[in-house]
Amino acid sequence: MLRSDQILATVEMIQKENLDVRTVTMGINILDCRTGDVQSTCERVEQRILDLAGNFVPTCNAISRKFGIPIVNKRISVTPIAFVGAGFDRHGFVELAKCLDRAATAVGVDILGGFSAQVEKGMTATDREYIASIPEALARTEKVCASINIATSQKGINMDALAMIGRTIKELAEKTRDQGGFGAAKFVVFCNQPGDNPFMAGAIHGLEEADAVLNVGVSGPGVIARALERLIGHHQGREPLRLDELAEEIKQTTFRVTRCGELIGRQVSKALGIEFGVVDLSLAPTPTIGDSVGEILKILGVDAIGAPGSTAILALLNDAVKKGGIFASKTVGGLSGAFIPVMEDALLAEAVGEGALCLEKLESMTCVCSVGLDMVAIPGSVDADTISAIIADEMALGMVNHKTTAARLIPVPGKEAGEYVSFGGLFGASPIMEVRNAGKSSRFMAWGGRIPAPIHSFKN
Amino acid sequence: MNKQMIISVMSKDRPGIIAEITGAIYALKGDLADLNQSILCGYLTMILIASFEEDITREDVLAEISHIQSGEKFEVLIKEMDIPIEVAHIPKPTDTYILSAQGRNRSGLVHSISQFCYSHGINILDLATTLTDDQYTMVLQLDMRDIASFETVLADLDIFSRDSGLKLVIQHNDIFRVTHEIGLH
Repeated sequence: MLRSDQILATVEMIQKENLDVRTVTMGINILDCRTGDVQSTCERVEQRILDLAGNFVPTCNAISRKFGIPIVNKRISVTPIAFVGAGFDRHGFVELAKCLDRAATAVGVDILGGFSAQVEKGMTATDREYIASIPEALARTEKVCASINIATSQKGINMDALAMIGRTIKELAEKTRDQGGFGAAKFVVFCNQPGDNPFMAGAIHGLEEADAVLNVGVSGPGVIARALERLIGHHQGREPLRLDELAEEIKQTTFRVTRCGELIGRQVSKALGIEFGVVDLSLAPTPTIGDSVGEILKILGVDAIGAPGSTAILALLNDAVKKGGIFASKTVGGLSGAFIPVMEDALLAEAVGEGALCLEKLESMTCVCSVGLDMVAIPGSVDADTISAIIADEMALGMVNHKTTAARLIPVPGKEAGEYVSFGGLFGASPIMEVRNAGKSSRFMAWGGRIPAPIHSFKN
Repeated sequence: MNKQMIISVMSKDRPGIIAEITGAIYALKGDLADLNQSILCGYLTMILIASFEEDITREDVLAEISHIQSGEKFEVLIKEMDIPIEVAHIPKPTDTYILSAQGRNRSGLVHSISQFCYSHGINILDLATTLTDDQYTMVLQLDMRDIASFETVLADLDIFSRDSGLKLVIQHNDIFRVTHEIGLH
């Protein structure tokens, strides 16, 4: 038998520190559901999801009960829809979105991702129709999330597509004006998008994947924060802790957290007879108090999130999480890094309200963590070219640094910097962030074309 | 070599107890198959299983142990097995669970929780308790293969938790295994 102190440490993690499995996401290939017309394609897509995921949510719930670990979200990702709908027009894509929404509701998952396209080098006529469909598709569905890969380190940045995306985001926010522009919270723009990421809104079932696969997202930052607090508390009055000891604590806690994710994921996979994919080591905050990446930054020594030192702390955190997690799991993948989604992290949102965290500092922090400018509410008056240009900067960081970066910007219609927007639930709330120098990037965006891929040698 | 005996020994703890007891078994040409020991508040108890030649009786073993020249007397119980146990072939329960219980110290806590287990057909395989600052903690390893329904146990545990004021958490043993062992199976 294990020692009782070890058992109690794990019980503490679960009871007080919110240890859970953040998401189990079933990736489903729907490429072969394509027929000659929209309606029968939709029928086959819906049937495929029902066939594979019909028992998904009850199975997750049963395994969660058996092991005594909550599985917070059950989700589905599908093959990027632009491949499935090749040749369809924008109305066809809206129909596909509606059918995905119906299927997600029928099987009881909370979100479905994969209303997506990959246009990092060029756009087909289908891709243009897909992009044109996004505002209506997301405004008319509840559970469907969209993403687009617009840049890679190998191919560069597709600036023609990016120019369209700025306008699309504005239109999407406008179409969901009565919900504060919520539609834009369901759309994310990527550089180097992974095909096995279980987290939303950017989950897709990549073309490189098998017919069906289960990917798992580990528990959130709350567990790490509590472990650090406990270590620091135990050390009071003793020899002071050093950063390498704090990093070690993060590593060991992540090891445990990852192991739980791996165990639960593999059990669900076995019960459903679906191949296990990867464990994603991302620390994904939620608006719940005590489940914040921002809080970890404060625990580790900055009194305001965004103060000098914030980027360095985030780099330490991100690295320690990976080191602990990679050893714990047989297969690591997805995004695997700390998220800093402003609206979904109560302390980051608070820092925006206090004026401590600005867009520029947030951008620099995304250089050392996953995943990018995520869930950032900006004034509705910011023009489309400025939105595209903010995204271009974020894409450039990912492209040059060979990492995934993403942008999920929400131009809140009718609201200005400092005003407050709330989407409720997991999507959270925050003050609207100031965008400085708005309206000064249109000449840059007007060029179009591509930003060439960076050189892969001479790395100084 | 076909007579098996279960031997239980209790004594005040000191160095040399295991050496002396196993020495007595060795002197009777006995073969030790398994041994388990525990120490509580300075007292040691051990249970062991050994096999002897047919003509050795429990009285012989008892005499051999009582001849050990040491300050402290051993409390010994010996049972001769009618049907020998195949030590190497005892099936381990496949699914075990860990129940942790924490609450303010008062009398009857272990009894109430073990009664709960008994009434649900749960076998307690191991139990450890600690007392710190008036907080009593029990950790039980449970074999739940004979329970009627897992859902019923969870629901009843919830009621029991409310009635007793104990904080009760039940989880699969594998959770603790994977979070504390290097190997991942």
